[in-house]
Amino acid sequence: MSARPVRMRIAPVERLQLRRLVQDLCKLIGPGIDPEDPAVARLTPNPYPDDSDAARDFRSGTRGDLLARRAADAGIVSAAVAGVADEPDSWAEETALVEEVLEIPAAEVDAWMRTLTAIRLVIATRLGIVDEEDHDPDDARFGVYDWLGYRLEMLIQAAEDQSG
Amino acid sequence: MSAPLATPELDEDVDLLAAPLEPWQVVVWNDPVNLMSYVVRVFRTYFGYSQERATQLMLAVHNEGHAIVATGPRETMEVHAQAMHDYGLWATVRKAPL
Repeated sequence: MSARPVRMRIAPVERLQLRRLVQDLCKLIGPGIDPEDPAVARLTPNPYPDDSDAARDFRSGTRGDLLARRAADAGIVSAAVAGVADEPDSWAEETALVEEVLEIPAAEVDAWMRTLTAIRLVIATRLGIVDEEDHDPDDARFGVYDWLGYRLEMLIQAAEDQSG
Repeated sequence: MSAPLATPELDEDVDLLAAPLEPWQVVVWNDPVNLMSYVVRVFRTYFGYSQERATQLMLAVHNEGHAIVATGPRETMEVHAQAMHDYGLWATVRKAPL
């Protein structure tokens, strides 16, 4: 693996979108977390679906750590997209949409991928996506879901190109 | 024939037989969310599999619904399953069928 940073082209309006999504994720898995929430369940899968004793032991021993790692990953992404003005109404259109280069250090690329994936899993749970064909063009959340998938795909390609 | 300088500790063999290593497996299940390229990358970078092997496993998950991605001691398999969960993949741990 190369230690070179991965470059992502991203517009301010996208950074703001991403920042809000990461904030939502942090809220979901932060204090006051609801373990019964299907999205939380999807982020902390049961590795022993046929053995409730083993599942309980595993979860009580590892769930907190897993959520702490998720929060740390989200914090990395959050820090990278911080510093965007929070008032898009005041932006000139050309400023809001012009892509800028965001450099992601090689050591942080996995945190980005895990976080984009986690947000997609949450949205998919909320939308009830159960197979790859599920899509509703009238629901704006599908637009966000597809956009995150596109961002993730671009990031994977850029990382693969970097590592040769 | 001369006697060996050291005789093997037979007790150790007995101990090994008394506690055979039962293989466990990590199984990754198909889901409609994770991108194929992402799953290949996770298998390749986390397990150190070749691009070809990682792609084979991803296709098995996609087409057959699941694939065994690792086999070994239970504790190690649980560590792998946790890593898969970190990456958002749906992984379970089970005793290898005899």
